[in-house]
Amino acid sequence: MTPKLKVALAVAVTCALASLPWLASATILQFSISTLLLATLAQGWNIIGGYTGYASFGNSVFFGLGSYGTAIAMVQWHLPFGVGLVFGAVLAVVFALVLGIPVLRLRGHYFAIATLALSQVMTAIVSNLEIAGRNTGLVLPLLNGDPLFYELSLALLVLATLTVFWIAHSRFGFGLIAIRENEDAAASMGINTTLYKVLAFAISGIFSALAGGIHAYWITFIDPVSAFDLSLNVKMIIMTVFGGPASILGPVVGAFVLSGISEILSSAISSVASLFFGAVIIVAVVFMPRGLADVLRRFRKTGWRYFSENVKKYRL
Amino acid sequence: MKRAIGCLATLLAMSGVAHAQNTVTLGASVQETGALANTGRYYRDGYNFAIAKINESGGVKVGGKTYKLALKILDNQSDSNLSVRQYVQLLTQDKVNFLLGPFASDFALADSSVAEKYQVPMIQGGGASDQIFSRGYKYIFGTLPVASKYFGSTIAMMGKLNPAPKSVALLYADDAFDVSVAAGTRELIRKAGLKLTEDKRYSSNTSDFSTLISEVKSSNPDAILVSGHETEVLNFIRQAKSLNLSPKIYSFTVGVPTADFRKALGADANYAFGMTPWLPSPTNKDQYFGDAPAFVKAYTQKFGYEPDYHAASAVADVEAFAKAMQAAGTLDPKKVRDAISHVNFGSIYGTIAFDSAGQISLPQTVIQVQNGQVTPIYAQGIMISKPQYPMPLWGKR
Repeated sequence: MTPKLKVALAVAVTCALASLPWLASATILQFSISTLLLATLAQGWNIIGGYTGYASFGNSVFFGLGSYGTAIAMVQWHLPFGVGLVFGAVLAVVFALVLGIPVLRLRGHYFAIATLALSQVMTAIVSNLEIAGRNTGLVLPLLNGDPLFYELSLALLVLATLTVFWIAHSRFGFGLIAIRENEDAAASMGINTTLYKVLAFAISGIFSALAGGIHAYWITFIDPVSAFDLSLNVKMIIMTVFGGPASILGPVVGAFVLSGISEILSSAISSVASLFFGAVIIVAVVFMPRGLADVLRRFRKTGWRYFSENVKKYRL
Repeated sequence: MKRAIGCLATLLAMSGVAHAQNTVTLGASVQETGALANTGRYYRDGYNFAIAKINESGGVKVGGKTYKLALKILDNQSDSNLSVRQYVQLLTQDKVNFLLGPFASDFALADSSVAEKYQVPMIQGGGASDQIFSRGYKYIFGTLPVASKYFGSTIAMMGKLNPAPKSVALLYADDAFDVSVAAGTRELIRKAGLKLTEDKRYSSNTSDFSTLISEVKSSNPDAILVSGHETEVLNFIRQAKSLNLSPKIYSFTVGVPTADFRKALGADANYAFGMTPWLPSPTNKDQYFGDAPAFVKAYTQKFGYEPDYHAASAVADVEAFAKAMQAAGTLDPKKVRDAISHVNFGSIYGTIAFDSAGQISLPQTVIQVQNGQVTPIYAQGIMISKPQYPMPLWGKR
């Protein structure tokens, strides 16, 4: 495919997605909004987890900060939604800068453990803030406009994907990949690793926070436990890894496919849906540990052997 | 006679199927799996049981036509995002007529927004948070007593004790529900003119209360009110015994009515006060079930476990819809909504009537464990039986 054709295809797909509110039922629209938000979160995680190689469990904190930033601005200060979104994103950037500098000095497991604690800490902090409604949470005004939420979520996902596209083709992105492959070597090549990592963390945080803000206004109610929910972070990781980390469209495809499977399972075989969902993930990790993107790339050459080779290559 | 009615009902049902599908469908998304499934089942079974019973009695007459009730229930896997989506699906895809609620306040908060958006009434019996009713929503009604009034009847009863307690310590867990209970209780304590000696929040799932108990002991209040979870309450009582904390009265929001509570504490469960919004008393008459004891018997037989107030509340939700549809004489959601706000009937759960915010006024009945038995003590201004008060010291039991 020529680059021109690729761009045309991307624009066409985006336009088709944008016209969904006029075609689909309200139920599908609901499902689509949450899928688009999940895809945005996965794409955000892709920047810090996929490209930079830092397995962050702190992205659900960004999501929570975005939710609370928007909710506080709207409920306590009576500001418009747009201002709330920006406020949430600013909170996320400040958080990324202040905490990124000490936390990003940790590598490997230590970084994961440190970020794992962050969402617990945030739950405790927010539970004691009068302005955040303490433990009881905040109730946002009701807006009857699912098409609006859909278009906003879609726009955010497009923006996130374009950002990842830019990262993948820029000096900045190559720097991040270098850090992932060998941080000491990257530093000796003259990359300011701390700056690069903190920037990647902040960009990742902005998208998570914006998704959080849209989600809060859409769902109309947030409390500390649901806003800083760690299982959301796990979902981001699963979707990114399923689709293909450090690829441009992998996380998006991963989020779409897994959300779809989960939705079909939960409506078709309600009670054991989560069991099947778990099985799908295990099978995916065993047979295609490098994600869907890698399958597409290499399947043509190796055929069905691709799966058996993976099992051999990555066996424990 | 009963058999004759049964036959008639079957005939009616068959003719209904033969002629036209005169069915009113109620939709609900409840926790059938996941973390909250243990309580979610009360709602699933309560809804199903009430609907079966109403259909057995001939269904619901709406504007001259007889309708059968049907239930469309979805499993939200204890995931509140999924439950919001399922309520939208129930309204737009499955075209249910009205909505029944999920279990738990945070679910009810999010899901009631769907009812409000689509202007279809939802009656929920699973959320007790005050926030559900403080948003000015018109399409949400609730049959659980609200959190802020949980200790209302306990504090009213304390005024009638001799000698009446003068000072109170308030302890509560730090989750949304217990914080709302505490906020309401603080106000009630102030209004009753009692002295609040301690006002302490502890983190949920704490198992060590020794510091808290020492603090409370030094201020020596007459009464201790605890709002928390069952395991915390058990630990609190065990440690109160070992640290010899003996107030004149202590009361707990949860735990006391259950059999597990008495089993876990044995004789130490005695004298503990608690509360329940529902006791299966024969004075709770009901059009469909006869009365509350008959309901408990039938329910236990059918589902193999005893119902508690969640199940009774779920039954009341279904009955409220039946009454409201009959009164409205139409299935128009807006008119049924107005009819719900005017219903006033007796059920196994108690008298169902909603105020302008959509809440039910159902005072908690104060209970006490006396000689290993749960004894109702006080409700609606009446002392039902004599409380064992003051509590004897631990050494003298």
